[in-house]
Amino acid sequence: MSQTSKPDLFGDIKVLLTAASLFEEQTMDEIPTLWVTAQYLQPLCDVLCFKLDQPFDFLFDLTAIDETTRQHNVIPHRRDFTVVYLLRSYARNQDLRIKVALTTDAKEVASVSSIWPNANWYEREVWDLFGIKFTDHPCLRRIMMPTTWQGHPLCKTHPARATEMGEYSLSDDMRDLEQEALKFNPAEWGLKPQGNPDEFMWLNLGPNHPSVHGVFRIMLQLDGEEIVQAIPDIGYHHRGAEKMAERQSWHSYIPYTDRIDYLGGVMNNLPYVMAVEKLAGIVVPERVKVIRVMLCEMFRILSHLLFYGTFAQDIGSLSPIFYMFVDREKLFAIVEAITGARMHPAWFRIGGLAADLPKGWDKMVTQWLDYMPARMADYDQMVMRNSLIKKRTVGIGAYDTATAIEWGVTGPGLRATGFDWDLRKKRPYSGYENFDFDIPLGTRGDSYDRCAVRVEEIRQSMRIIRQCVHNMPEGPYKADHVLTTPPPKERTMQDIDTLIPHFLGLSWGPVIPAGEAMMEVEATKGSNAYYLTSDASTISYRTHIRTPSFPHLQMIPVLAKGQMIADLIATIGSIDFVMADVDR
Amino acid sequence: MDWNLSDPNKVPEQISVIDQSVQEDIKKNVIFTTLNNMINWGRKNSIWPFNFGLSCCYVEMATSFTARHDIARFGAEVIRATPREADLIVISGTVFRKMAPVVKHLYDQLLEPKWVISMGSCANSGGMYDIYSVVQGVDKILPVDVYVPGCPPRPEALMQGLMLLQEAIGREQRPLSWVVGDQNVSQVEKPSQRDIHNATRMRTRDLTPPDRV
Repeated sequence: MSQTSKPDLFGDIKVLLTAASLFEEQTMDEIPTLWVTAQYLQPLCDVLCFKLDQPFDFLFDLTAIDETTRQHNVIPHRRDFTVVYLLRSYARNQDLRIKVALTTDAKEVASVSSIWPNANWYEREVWDLFGIKFTDHPCLRRIMMPTTWQGHPLCKTHPARATEMGEYSLSDDMRDLEQEALKFNPAEWGLKPQGNPDEFMWLNLGPNHPSVHGVFRIMLQLDGEEIVQAIPDIGYHHRGAEKMAERQSWHSYIPYTDRIDYLGGVMNNLPYVMAVEKLAGIVVPERVKVIRVMLCEMFRILSHLLFYGTFAQDIGSLSPIFYMFVDREKLFAIVEAITGARMHPAWFRIGGLAADLPKGWDKMVTQWLDYMPARMADYDQMVMRNSLIKKRTVGIGAYDTATAIEWGVTGPGLRATGFDWDLRKKRPYSGYENFDFDIPLGTRGDSYDRCAVRVEEIRQSMRIIRQCVHNMPEGPYKADHVLTTPPPKERTMQDIDTLIPHFLGLSWGPVIPAGEAMMEVEATKGSNAYYLTSDASTISYRTHIRTPSFPHLQMIPVLAKGQMIADLIATIGSIDFVMADVDR
Repeated sequence: MDWNLSDPNKVPEQISVIDQSVQEDIKKNVIFTTLNNMINWGRKNSIWPFNFGLSCCYVEMATSFTARHDIARFGAEVIRATPREADLIVISGTVFRKMAPVVKHLYDQLLEPKWVISMGSCANSGGMYDIYSVVQGVDKILPVDVYVPGCPPRPEALMQGLMLLQEAIGREQRPLSWVVGDQNVSQVEKPSQRDIHNATRMRTRDLTPPDRV
C-alpha cells in the first residue's frame, strides 16, 4: 500500500498528549499503530478528528480481539482484550491504527460515537460479539445476535459450532417467544416519545420484504406516508464468518470469503489472499496479478449489472432486469470456463491461483466485450434516460461528501458525491497502476448519481478487461515460495526435504508467521478489507472483515428522514448492498 | 377443426357427418379422470412460489425466474409477495438462528396445500456453516419436500427440484373436502436421486478437460 507517510505525525500528537501513554507497534502492513491507555483514548481521538490541520475524519473500522489464548508475538502492553480503531485521513492519504488494551474484569472503554457517528454500530457489534462495554454509547444493545442470546460469540470461551451447542428445535411456544423478543419497542432503542402516540404509525418493513434486498428490517415511524424516523435492524444474516476463520486453515477459509459479498465472487478472495501474502512475505508473479484483476473486474460487472436491474425493478421498471440477466449468464459462462464455478469460484490461492487460464479464454472474453457496448446503450435508453426513473431518483436520497465521510460511506456511494477517491488509483494494488481507466464521479450524490456512477464503472471495467486480454503476461500462475498453497508440485518428487513441506502444506496447511496485516480492495460495493492476526499457526488467530455495506446501512436513518416510503425504496435500491456483506 | 354448412333439405344424410365431427371434438376436449387426479394436475402445473429469499441461493433462484431459464415454462412464475397467496416456499439460503422464528412464522402463514423446497447446502443441512448462529438445516423447524443440493445450486438444479416436486404433487392423495374421502394426506416417497442416477452418471467418460474452454 503506497501511503504518503508523514514522519512528523506522531510528533504532532505527542505535543498534545503525554508521551507516557503511547507505544508504537510495528505491523506487517506498515500502518502506524499506537497503543493507548483507555483513559487517553477519547482526548486523543478528539485531537485526531478535530484539531489536526489534515484530520483523521474517517473511522474506517472498529473491532476487537480476544487475546486470552495468544502464544506468540508478545507485546508488553497487551491484556485480555484489545479494541482496535482504524482511522483514515483522506487529505493525508494516511491510515492510523489505535489499540486499547482491556482486562477481563474491566471490559469498558469510552465510546467514540460522539466523534465519528458511524462508530455507533461498530461499538454495538463489539459489545454483542465480545461483551466490551462502551460508556456513554447512545444505545448499546445487541446488533448481530437475537436479544435472547446468552454469551458473546467471538470470545474464545464461546462455542463455535452449532453442533457443540445441542440440538436446535423450535416449538410453537419458542417461536412466539422469539417473535415477541423481535417486537419493536421504541423505548428499548433509546427513543423518546414524540407528540401524541396516535399521531404516528410504526411500520415494520422486513426482515422479509421484496424490496429490502434480503433479510433486513427497518422500523419506520410514519406521519401519513412521510417517514419521521427510520431504525434499521440487522443481524438476520449473521453467518459467523469471523469465528469460522478461527478453525479453518488459512487455505480452507478462502471459500468462506466468496460468500461475504456473495455477488462479488473472487473479488472477496483478493483482499484475503493479499493479506495472507503480506503476512507470509509472498510476492506473486505478474501473470497472477493480471488474471486476478481481470476476474475481479468481471465480478464487478456482474454485481453492477444485478444492481442496475434490481434498482430499476425497485422503482417499477420491470423489464431491464430480464435483459441484464442474459448478459450476466453470458459472462458467467466465461467465469465458469475459467474457474469451473459460477457465483462462488474460490479460485484465488495464497500465492497464486487455482489453475492457469484455459486455452481459448481470450476469444470468449473478446466476444463478450464486443457484444456488450450495444446492450449498455440499450440500457441507457431503457433506464438512465427514462424520464420516469429520473423523476423517481434525481434528488432522492442525496447526501454530500462530508456526510458520506462522517458515516463511513465508501465506493460508488462516495464517488457519487463528486469525491474522487478510488483505492485502485489512490493506493494501487495487484498492478492496477499499469491500467488505463477513469474514475466516474457524480455531482449531486443522489440515487440517480449512484446508479450513473456504477453504470460508467461497468464501461471502465470493460476497458480494464480488454487491456488484460491484450497484455496478458506469460509466466507461472503460482509464486515460487514455500508458503504458497498448494505448493508447487514439481519439487515434491526430488527429495524428502521438499516432500515433507509439500505434504504438510497440503494437509495441515501453511504456518503463517506471527503478526498482523490489513489488506483493503476497492470491491464492488466499496472498501472491503481483511484484518488478519496470525499467532504463528495453521489457522488465523483473529480474522476481521471490514465490509462496505455495514456502514452504508447505518446511514439509512439520515437519508430516510422526511422521505416518502416509495422514495425510501428507491434510496435503499441505490445503496446496493447484500446482507451477507453487512452481517458477515 | 372440421366444419360444414348443413342444407335443411338434406338433413338425414348429413347427420352422420355432423355426428362424426362432434365425436372428434369430444375426443379433443373431454377427458375422463378421477377428481383427485384432475385437481393434482391443476395444482402441479400452477405452483405459486412465495417471494422469499435468505442469501446467495436466492440470486440463483432469481436467475431461474429470468429470461435464460424462465421458470414460467413450468407454470411456477407467479411469485407472490404474501404467504397467504402462495403454496410453495423455497428456502433459498442459510437459516439463521435470529431468522428461524420468522421463517417458521411465514411457513405457518402459507395456506394448505403447501410445499417446501430446501435449496442449497445451508438449508439442507447447515452446509459449510456449522457455526453458532446457523440452524443446521431447515428441516429442524419445518417439513421439507425436495432437497436441492449445491452451494449455490445452479438454476437448472432448482428447476429439476421443482419438476420432482411437481411429479410428487401429481401422485399425492389429499382429502377433496372435509366431508369427502380419506382425511389424511398420503406420504409420497422421496427416493434419493443419487441412488437412481448414480449408475448412469458413473458411466460418463468424456468430460471437458479443465485446460480448455
